[in-house]
Amino acid sequence: MQQFIQQFATGLSTGSLYAILALSLVLIYRSTSIVNFAQGEMAMFTTFLAWSVLNGHAGPYWFWVAFFATLVMAMIFGALVELIALRPVESGPVLNPIIVTLGLFTLVNSLALRIWQGEPKAFPSPAIFDGAPLKIGTAVISRPNVGVFCMALLIMGLIYVFFNRTKVGLAMRATAQNRVASQLVGIRVGRMLALGWALSAMVGAVAGMLLAPTLFLSPGMMQGVLLFAFAAAVLGGLESPVGAIVGGLTVGVVQNMAGTYIGSNIDITVAFLLIIVVLLVRPHGLFGRRVMQRV
Amino acid sequence: MVKTLYRPRIILLAIMFVLLVTFPWMYKWPIFSHFLIEFRTFQATRFAIWLIILMGLNLLTGYSGQISLGHAALVAIGAYVAAILMKEYNTPVFAAVLVAGLVTGAIGFLIGIPALRLSGPYLAIATLALIIVLPQILKHPFMVDNFHTGGVNGILLPTPHVPSSLKNNLTDDQWLYYTCMIPAIIMTTMAWSLTRSRIGRAFISLRDSEIGAQQMGINVSLYKMTAFGVCSLFAGVGGALYIYTQPYLGPSTFDILLSLTLLVMIVLGGLASIVGTICAAIIMTMRIDITNWIAAIIPAGDKLGIEQSRGALFGLLLILSIIFTPRGVAGNFEKMREANIARRRSRQERQGREKEGEPVQD
Repeated sequence: MQQFIQQFATGLSTGSLYAILALSLVLIYRSTSIVNFAQGEMAMFTTFLAWSVLNGHAGPYWFWVAFFATLVMAMIFGALVELIALRPVESGPVLNPIIVTLGLFTLVNSLALRIWQGEPKAFPSPAIFDGAPLKIGTAVISRPNVGVFCMALLIMGLIYVFFNRTKVGLAMRATAQNRVASQLVGIRVGRMLALGWALSAMVGAVAGMLLAPTLFLSPGMMQGVLLFAFAAAVLGGLESPVGAIVGGLTVGVVQNMAGTYIGSNIDITVAFLLIIVVLLVRPHGLFGRRVMQRV
Repeated sequence: MVKTLYRPRIILLAIMFVLLVTFPWMYKWPIFSHFLIEFRTFQATRFAIWLIILMGLNLLTGYSGQISLGHAALVAIGAYVAAILMKEYNTPVFAAVLVAGLVTGAIGFLIGIPALRLSGPYLAIATLALIIVLPQILKHPFMVDNFHTGGVNGILLPTPHVPSSLKNNLTDDQWLYYTCMIPAIIMTTMAWSLTRSRIGRAFISLRDSEIGAQQMGINVSLYKMTAFGVCSLFAGVGGALYIYTQPYLGPSTFDILLSLTLLVMIVLGGLASIVGTICAAIIMTMRIDITNWIAAIIPAGDKLGIEQSRGALFGLLLILSIIFTPRGVAGNFEKMREANIARRRSRQERQGREKEGEPVQD
């Protein structure tokens, strides 16, 4: 039983890593209806920017200087990517934006490798996450993992409020659903799409900076996480921030449990099997809504 | 009218056929030897294999509109079936390829069942799951014990040689070329006639509007599963040939990167187009050469460190080509043809009007 609780807790902390990247995937899907394969690489790139700002500077407040500077840089980066690479292909065939994000994936990854080289770098975790591991009952969870979990919840809340309680959020949802109709009611569609990319690059940067202390900073650090983040986002329903959290935690826990009780050589298979089964019952994920179609 | 349309096409096909048959000897010919090396025969063999694999994916994604990110998994299944047959049961290569194709096709048909309920990004991730979990399944002791998948070590096949009866006429490379090119020609013809048949039209109607297709009386479930089955049949044959020419097979020989690259290639070549798939196979085979050629012509490339950032250049080229040719290489041909037809039509109209004695305005 004690092992079960510990594995559950470990699963939750792995899952919150998936969840936080899944949130940025949900954000971009909801505002542009594009599945962004370059999300992980963009997050990695902005984390390297943060590392460059931090490099050589010590002191407690420098982390936060770098943190907020990176958020601003990430927003500009995301908006530029949308304007330069995505804007020209938006009116074309449906697969084209996805192919462009795959191109971005290679481009950004290779650039990062060129600029910062391959060997992993240590990345500091914010001072508020320091301290002895947290004990809940018999389970032990490390402080940074608790921090990631709390940040994921916070971001989820912010995204929820943004989309459901603000006018800009409403306009972005409208843009994603029907571009022509949104334009007709006076929404600046282009600006909304650029804003969507900017915001999701920002959430991606937060994800990157929170994951870097655990995963170590390297050009390949996001690739393993990205697939599970995708799985998590799809499991929760690509539209729903709550779904991203639930999906991420579920994938993390299932993977850990399967690894412990069924065999570590089959854990990924079990996790993905579960996702497929859930999708068969609910084709739009746990929290997704069915979209009605007309001929 | 029909004659004038068809004659050039038949001549073109005949020229292509002769070129394909003589290609493995061309590097010895006087003029061709300047720009062809023997290595190109090996590349042409690869081209034939990619053509089969990409054709399958284009039938599924281009014609029937079902996005698949797990195509490499089906290629891997075909490769494993053929490798196990050849190694454990000494099956001759053609039988192994055929069985691999059929088995993979059957598996793909069954994969079509869960795919029935899914669409868009959900289908994409579900198919991506195939290639993510496949290495774990191949490495699992159960598969190693019962199906001889070889686990982490994979399967090592003997190097392929030309059969002794043909030894005096063909080199090994030429033998491999024909072993792969003949199936490639047959399967391209199959794909071509399939897309112009009742089944092909059903696929296209599925892509354009599923509900519309249903109302026209098309059995959506059956045709979707058929699309997955046919796609997998091509993947299986391609995988089997791949492993015959490249005799080592491991759990990660075919990976996620390949799966995504295949999708990228059919979009670059042109979706829902046979010519587009041929272009896609050429790009797939030559992608490293193309990137190198372009790297070489960039001015001051050395200073920018082009050598170390091939990946960045490839990504950049990919984005640019999607921006400037959104419908792939085949889309350009299509545009040229439409312009041609329009020009001819306006000329005919003008001649017609001149005959009737009307004033010509343009």
